[in-house]
Order: sequence, then C-alpha cells, then structure tokens
Amino acid sequence: MSTMLTYDDVVKNLDDLPSLPAVVMELLNSIDQEDVDISVLAKKVSHDQALTAKTLRLANSSLYGLQVKVTTIQQAITYLGFQATRNLITAAALTGCFAERSCAGFDHKAFWRHSIASAACAKVLARQMRFNQDYAFTAGLLHDIGRLVLVACFPKEYEQALAYRNEHDCLPLQAERAVLGIDHVDAGMALAEHWNFSDTMRLAIAHHHNPEAPGAGFLAAIIHVADAIAHALDLAHTPDGLVPPVSTVAWTALGLDETTYLQLFRETELQYEEIAMVLLS
Amino acid sequence: MTASYQHLPLGQVQAGMILSDELLDAQGHVLLPQGTVLTDATLALMPRHGIAMLPIALPEQPSEAEQAASQEQRIARIEHLFRKNEPDSDSDWATALLRRFVTDYRLGQAPAEE
Repeated sequence: MSTMLTYDDVVKNLDDLPSLPAVVMELLNSIDQEDVDISVLAKKVSHDQALTAKTLRLANSSLYGLQVKVTTIQQAITYLGFQATRNLITAAALTGCFAERSCAGFDHKAFWRHSIASAACAKVLARQMRFNQDYAFTAGLLHDIGRLVLVACFPKEYEQALAYRNEHDCLPLQAERAVLGIDHVDAGMALAEHWNFSDTMRLAIAHHHNPEAPGAGFLAAIIHVADAIAHALDLAHTPDGLVPPVSTVAWTALGLDETTYLQLFRETELQYEEIAMVLLS
Repeated sequence: MTASYQHLPLGQVQAGMILSDELLDAQGHVLLPQGTVLTDATLALMPRHGIAMLPIALPEQPSEAEQAASQEQRIARIEHLFRKNEPDSDSDWATALLRRFVTDYRLGQAPAEE
C-alpha cells in the first residue's frame, strides 16, 4: 500500500507545475479589483499571440452576439467590458497551460469538457440569480483544477486512485481520499494559495462539494449545482460519468423551478458547444 | 425515386442536399442523376436550364420503433449517470429532482405542474 500524501507534499511539488503567463496571473489576482490599468493589460496580452487569437475567437463567438468583429484585445474590452474579456483571457490561458502528463486512465480532454460545461452552466445560473457571471464562469472552470495538480505532481499515485474509482464505482473525490489521503479539493486549495487566487475563488473551490458548510458563500452553491448539472447533461461524454449528490441546501438556495431549469439546460448546452469549439480545438 | 421527397424552389435549396429523382431539362435530357449531392456550383447552373424547382430527398424520418429505442437509450443513460441516487430517499431529494428535470428535458416534455 502506498503511503498517504499530505497537503504539504502537494505544496512542495507546486513549484514543478507549469506557470501561467505572467499577465494571466495578474488577471487572476486582480479579479476583485476594478481599478486595474486596462490599457497596460491589453498591451501585455497582445504580446502573446496564441492567447490573443484564442481570446478573440471566443469574443467573436455567438456567446456574446456581437454585431461587430473584434480584432484586438482593446476592442474586446470596449465591446464586452473588462470583466468578460478578462474571463476569456483566463479561460484561454488555463486550458492551454497544463501539459498532458501520462497518467493511465486520466482523460485530459474529458476533464476540460467537464470544466467548460460547468463554467458555461455556472455563468447561466449566475445570470439567473443576478450574481456576477464572470466570477461564476471562472470558478466553474477552476473548480476541479486540483485534479490536474494531482495528475501533474503524482501521476503514478493518481493512476491508482483512478483504478480504485473504477473498481468501486465511486466519486473521484472518494477514490482520491482512499488512495492518496488527500483529494482534489485539497490540491486545488494549495494551488489557489500558490497562484494567489482571490478569496471568492478559494471559497468556491474549497466548498464545491460541501456548499452547506458555514461561510461557504453563494458562489460555492452555484458551482456545486453547475457541477451536478454538467454531469447530468453528460457533456463530458465519459462512459463512467456519475452525478454527484446534490446538496439540498444549495438547491434550495437557488430556488429555481423546473421551467427555469429546462431553459438553463438548453442554454448551457449551446454555450458549451461554442466555448468547447474554441478552447479544445 | 426515394421514399420521401419534396419539391423546393431553387432559393431554398442548399448545397449538400440530395436529388430524390433524376433531373431532366426541357428537352428531356438527363442533367443530373438521382442521388446527386448538390453543390453551389451545380445550383448556380440551374437558372440557365430554366429550372426553378428541384425534387429534394428528405432525410429519413426515424420510425416510431427507432424513436422509442432512442428514448429508451436516453433514459438508460440518465439512469446510469444517476446510479448512486435513490429517488425515494428523504435526504437525496435534490438529486432526484435534478434527475427528473433532466429526464423531462431529454424526452422533450413540458415541465410537470408542481
């Protein structure tokens, strides 16, 4: 039996992780700030051509229904606003930053399909709840990022966790705890610390599996339900897909009726297709 | 001739559509055989031959049996995804509700009256 990992083991390995482009770190860290110098940021992003191209493709997708075609980051900010553009840049950067480590049984593409589906659903839910859609989108995209951390830092151990999951047909979270001693929430928290995420993001990552915890915050409830819906709509197309139990507290907090959910499902599927086409191509 | 077709005015015909019948010109010459996949280039030539309507094959309508089978597949998939949910459990009712909504959504049903 392998020895159990601890939170400190994760922290020690974080330096080996790929680093995000400096400008993306800056964007992530400033998500709560409104007074960032936009023109400087736009210029910095423009130096990264691949990042710029992906961001602009997202901005021009029907996700935003722009009447004009934006061709520069500065234009995207003008038409979409700073928050939304920052979101797109972050999404474009994150999906390209983790190299595909060899870890038998871990499907990187499926991981991102689920993350993008959760992000799309969280954004749609947030609009319905009149919550900040950009926080919701980014948190949805990042909620399971700890899994990538575990795969990147402990690929062999994670293979065992995946084998355990297949054998016991349980949630990844349970398999990780049983085999590794830590789970993707712990690893996500370690990364959030390392990358200096805002408190809002940290809370959402920390509590997406237990949004009923005191102080978890409303965003955790949104991400929790979005995660479950993304699994239920089967957008990641994994044969062993499993819908995690939905917290009655989070479900009640959203308080939406069936008609609303049916519309949300449709919108989520449409937005998912758009975003996945750009980010996973 | 294929099982189902409709005559469409040229303006509504798009590249990729399939001729359900052979296409003759005014003299009775065969312009295109049955089953031709139309392209923008061939469509552009139609007015020159005085053709304003085309017989277009309709996509095969799934039979009732096929529709039922695909519905069953969808329900089976939802059951698989929700395999850990106990619909009658008192503590897991939110998951059960999500399951019901997704089932209604997949089967294209209007929401049930609460």
